[in-house]
Amino acid sequence: MESSMKRSLRRDVVMPVVLLAIITILLKLTYDAVDDVETFYSLTGWLLEATLQSATPLILAALGGMFSEKSGVVNIGLEGMMLIGAFAAVAATYFLYDPWIGLLAAVLAGGVLAAVHAIICVKMKGNHIVSGTGIILFAAGFTTLMLEVIWDRKGISEQVTALPTVSMPFLRDIPIIGVAFDNLSPIVYLTFVLVIVSWYVMYRTPFGLRLRAAGEDPSTLDAAGISVEKYRFFGVVISGLLAGLGGAYISIGFGLPAFGKQMTAGRGFIALAALIFGNWSPLGLLIAGLFFGFLDTLQYFVGFVPAWGWVQSYSQFLQMMPFVLVVLALAGIRKSVPPKAIAVPYEKEAKA
Amino acid sequence: MSEDNLQDIGDQSDEPQTGLVSKIRANLERIRINLVDSAEDAPGLIKSIVLTTAKLLTWTFWKPVVWALFSVILAVITSAVIMEISGYNSYVAFSALINGALRQFDRVLFFATPLILTGLSVAFVFKSGLFNIGAEGQLYMGSMAAAILGYIIPLPYGVHPLVCLATGALAGALWGFLPGLLKAYRGAHEVVTTMMLSYTAILFTQWLAAGPLKEPGEYQWNAQTTRILETAELPTIWGNYLHAGFLVAIVCVFVVAFILNRTVMGYEMRAVGLNETAAETAGINPKKNMALSLAIGGGLAGLAGASEVQGNLHRFYNSWSPGLGFDGITVAVLGNNNPFGCFLAAIFFGFLRAGGNAMHQQAHVPIEMVSVMQGLVVLFVAAPRLIQWIADQSLDYGKWFSVEKARPIQPIVFALSMAIALYGAYFSFSLLGETQLGLTFIGISAAISILGIVAFVLLLARNWRGLIVSLIVSMCWFALAVIGMGSGVDIGFMILVGLVQAVLSVLSLLLVKGGGQSKGGGA
Repeated sequence: MESSMKRSLRRDVVMPVVLLAIITILLKLTYDAVDDVETFYSLTGWLLEATLQSATPLILAALGGMFSEKSGVVNIGLEGMMLIGAFAAVAATYFLYDPWIGLLAAVLAGGVLAAVHAIICVKMKGNHIVSGTGIILFAAGFTTLMLEVIWDRKGISEQVTALPTVSMPFLRDIPIIGVAFDNLSPIVYLTFVLVIVSWYVMYRTPFGLRLRAAGEDPSTLDAAGISVEKYRFFGVVISGLLAGLGGAYISIGFGLPAFGKQMTAGRGFIALAALIFGNWSPLGLLIAGLFFGFLDTLQYFVGFVPAWGWVQSYSQFLQMMPFVLVVLALAGIRKSVPPKAIAVPYEKEAKA
Repeated sequence: MSEDNLQDIGDQSDEPQTGLVSKIRANLERIRINLVDSAEDAPGLIKSIVLTTAKLLTWTFWKPVVWALFSVILAVITSAVIMEISGYNSYVAFSALINGALRQFDRVLFFATPLILTGLSVAFVFKSGLFNIGAEGQLYMGSMAAAILGYIIPLPYGVHPLVCLATGALAGALWGFLPGLLKAYRGAHEVVTTMMLSYTAILFTQWLAAGPLKEPGEYQWNAQTTRILETAELPTIWGNYLHAGFLVAIVCVFVVAFILNRTVMGYEMRAVGLNETAAETAGINPKKNMALSLAIGGGLAGLAGASEVQGNLHRFYNSWSPGLGFDGITVAVLGNNNPFGCFLAAIFFGFLRAGGNAMHQQAHVPIEMVSVMQGLVVLFVAAPRLIQWIADQSLDYGKWFSVEKARPIQPIVFALSMAIALYGAYFSFSLLGETQLGLTFIGISAAISILGIVAFVLLLARNWRGLIVSLIVSMCWFALAVIGMGSGVDIGFMILVGLVQAVLSVLSLLLVKGGGQSKGGGA
């Protein structure tokens, strides 16, 4: 127990240090390449901003995945829940003219789809992977169908009002940070708050303890007189709420505030990768999510540095980094410890 | 065979024993036993035919078929509701779909070809207890390998297609073998690794097609490889579309069935899939079997990619597959992981695809309706207990009628309440579009839709709380009518629905409570 804790501590320290070192080297190289302080500052600021922007949906969905997987239910349907969230946000904003209602609708839509997953996996003891596949297929088909029904268009919906951004005038004069935090969406800040809240809920409240017990050792939880099904249901629904929020961020949080066909583009799977790479812990997935967001940004970043134009023809390798890293992590560079009873439907013995 | 017997015993214990059903089953069972007995001394071929026929008479054989059909029917009903809500005519749409698919049956088989192979891939791996959700990546690797060999080396007709197919299968097999090894020797969960390697493969082939292997020439923006030589093409065998890949797929169905049911390797894999520890104790090496099974599964998916490139696309296009690997999961699930089941399920999905075009042209329903249907089918198949529950409750309900023959008023009122709750849910769904009436109106209609379904489910379970929910819903209808006053929506109809629902709920509440035989607590 002692040694495993030590190992986990070392793991939590080693990964950020390595990542920081990589980023420092990269920044140094950038500085050498552009050779101009002003350009360097604005480039770095842009890199930071874009990293935060593309990491936010990943972190939110991964956080959702954590709630589900910690309670013992595999949720590969995150992609579908994000997609339906992105759609619901745009549709609700379009009809009711208020992006905040759109945000609420996105969260609820993700939650409803997750409830379907929960009913199938927890109540009906169905196969988690099959159900997740069904969720993804259904969400992809349904959102594209509704895109055509509501706006009568094929690829992308009409533009709606975007969520307002938070500007920080007092930061504007600080070199890098001024550029980065100038107009970020409030969801970005909310994400960091949610990570901390999730950590607190997960490790410092009875609810979190029971949720984790449902995923680690359900029969003990059951023996303590607490319903395993209830906590697993909660875990899955929370995951849908968070994934829906992440989806809303993709559609009305940044960039063009409209819904595009298949607009989540595999982010749900990258979120799953971040969750595993971050070892199912809030802090770990935060770092992994930021790192994957950084990798995602890097492929556009190299376009801005003239000396690095050649990297762009290898951008696919940057994109596949999250997936390769996860496979390597699972192959044993780092020991990943999933919840013990994950993907095992819990059956009360007395039922037979 | 022991697994089948076990299932049989399990089935008999939890099956509802209604008179007619049990009589038919007993008779069938007698015929089956007679058949098996009479075939005892017959020569080999006849014996096997008779034994197969006997197998067809068991419930174990029919149960997955009935389950799959049930799920398909539920999915069709749900998608009809979705179509109606979206403002399409579901009857026209479905008849266009069926007509269109039947008129171009070669297209049905054409769409089914890759699905058969990817479905087999997932099903084969599933038999050894693993989940291959990365068939998409193996398919891409296979198609890339076939595309490269198709244009790089000139070979004579007849040999070239086979070489390309084999290379495609090999590439897919290698891409499946990798997660297999990781699973066997490092314990890396195959669901995660196959999924992640699938994306890696898609991006890697994209890089190849956009970079080193890009077709030289004027179409600079297209990420595609050079066209394969004519010698490497699979010939078209029926109509304009269906290519010889379909024959390959059919052969694979039989080969997979043979491997699984008639070889030592297949036996070992199934043993590992059923109980890894027990298999290991019995002297079977689970690690070897896991890795091998994922490799063979990958090979089947790679074959799907190769046959698509050689028969249909004739070159590798960047991201050409519309999720064929994912669809393989749905095929395997609907086909109950049985090779022949996969074949039928793939034909069914091919039918939907081929009919989807006709549906789009004649009923103007977007083609995405097909993937909505596909997702719904999977969701319904994923929840076998849902179907069991519905079947049980419906049987129970039928029994209630026969028990209360003398005083059928209570079950009839219940049934009517159910019908009105369901209709109300549907009607309020269609009101969700009236956005000009404001948030309260939409909120209440949404509440009615959800509560209506809840009431229906509770009533189906013969839980009297459903009547209370139904009563609440009728109040909501009155509220809705008040809000919608003077804005052009049909208030009279809303009040009518609310009134009928209220009267029915109160009546049945009185009956249930007054009759003194409350069904509280549900079934």
